[in-house]
Amino acid sequence: MNGEAASGTMQAGASGTPQVDEAARPLAIQVRNLDFYYGKTRALHNISLDFPERSVTGMIGPSGCGKSTLLRILNRMYDLYPGQRATGEVLYDGQNILAPGVDLNLLRSRIGMVFQKPTPFPMSIYDNIAFGIRLHERVSRSEMDGRVEDALRRVALWAEVKDRLQASATAMSGGQQQRLCIARTIATRPEIILLDEPTSALDPVSTARIEELLDELKGDFTIAIVTHNMQQAARCADQVAFFYLGELVEVDSTARMFTTPRESRTQDYITGRFG
Amino acid sequence: MGTEPAHTVTRYDQELDRLRGMVARMGGLVERQTAQAIAAVVDQNEEAALEPPELDVEVDALEREAEALAIRILALRAPMAVDLRLIIAVLKITGDLERIGDYASSIARRALKVEPLDGAMSFSALRSMGRLVQENLHKAIDAMACNDSERAMEVWNADTAVDELYTAMFRELVTYMMEDPRKIGPCIHLLFVAKNLERIGDHATNIAERVYYAVTGEMLPAVRPRGGAARKGAQL
Repeated sequence: MNGEAASGTMQAGASGTPQVDEAARPLAIQVRNLDFYYGKTRALHNISLDFPERSVTGMIGPSGCGKSTLLRILNRMYDLYPGQRATGEVLYDGQNILAPGVDLNLLRSRIGMVFQKPTPFPMSIYDNIAFGIRLHERVSRSEMDGRVEDALRRVALWAEVKDRLQASATAMSGGQQQRLCIARTIATRPEIILLDEPTSALDPVSTARIEELLDELKGDFTIAIVTHNMQQAARCADQVAFFYLGELVEVDSTARMFTTPRESRTQDYITGRFG
Repeated sequence: MGTEPAHTVTRYDQELDRLRGMVARMGGLVERQTAQAIAAVVDQNEEAALEPPELDVEVDALEREAEALAIRILALRAPMAVDLRLIIAVLKITGDLERIGDYASSIARRALKVEPLDGAMSFSALRSMGRLVQENLHKAIDAMACNDSERAMEVWNADTAVDELYTAMFRELVTYMMEDPRKIGPCIHLLFVAKNLERIGDHATNIAERVYYAVTGEMLPAVRPRGGAARKGAQL
């Protein structure tokens, strides 16, 4: 049912009001018949899932269900580890990114990733952002200043740090660090942002800020977010995919997913009935 | 709904069970109110007329209690999917049941002011209407207790007959009042009784709609089958 659900047109939500028709948007990424193996262990089973452009796709499921694994495939992070392999297709910009010969540096500059724990580099706030830009582009000092400011403004961090850009990033609060990491990701002007539980280590206020930020960023970026927090998926995502034991059980518009899921496994999970 | 596995958090299940219990108890009380109100009118039974307003106190209290618990569950458990639909349905159904209780009390209070009209069809029509309304209400409450969307659908489709009976009564009573102004008083009471019964039928239909939503997640169409004549012919 995966493929069918992913490509099917969303019907009116349970409220009877028409939902944003995610299926009508152009697709940023198409995952087709994807299998993934950690050594001999098969972690993903025949996944087919579409990520519509400029919208947020939430990925939920219990620990070990494969949602983070899928996220790590989307920018080929798994390549960093021996013994891990993926089969099937991940189509991005008309190209199967699983194919050999893909320029991984370029790929990762276009598909950025933010992790669960804020991971600022042990350098200044300014350099944390400039670092990524320098890897991919040659820009003048003044242009770099502009790019750094722009990235910090977009994550609503500028006002807080503009007077201490040379201070160490590691001295910032957790919430600030996470916003800095998002700023660092968007500074290289990617098309897609992957977030792996980006707020699980943050307090509710910082979490709300990040969620507000996602809402704003989805005007320009395609966002995929893995979260254990069901309410967060409900608040942030336009479509939600539920994974269980390496399978994609169901994908649908967020409103429909949380009011009227079609699969009993989805229902049991989101209502807190999992044994 | 109702047949799902238990929640991981046991207390959550206990709270939902308590909520279902309250609504079931309300349903039972309201059915009793309606039955006694109808008996009070058509059998001119004085004792039966006393009961609906008395029971109404408990119905109102249960409504408030169920609402408080539903709000508490919404706030503390953030229910999703089937649980969310149950809570929403309960909030609305308790409102419907409370209104039915009010209508039944109102009928009971008028019961002894109506009088059988010589040669009139109205009392027997009222009896038929009462029977139909009671049947629909019973089915709606049953559908609620059993999470039975098909049964809910039956109720939803069955209200037309009640509407048609009401329209017929309305026309008949208007004729009587025109013929003999002395009958206007009792006729008006009778008309209000019929109107209240018709409203009870509507609320039973509402309950059926909520049950259908809670069980299937689908909303029934906004326009349900109605006795067209009831809307055209019986404007008050």
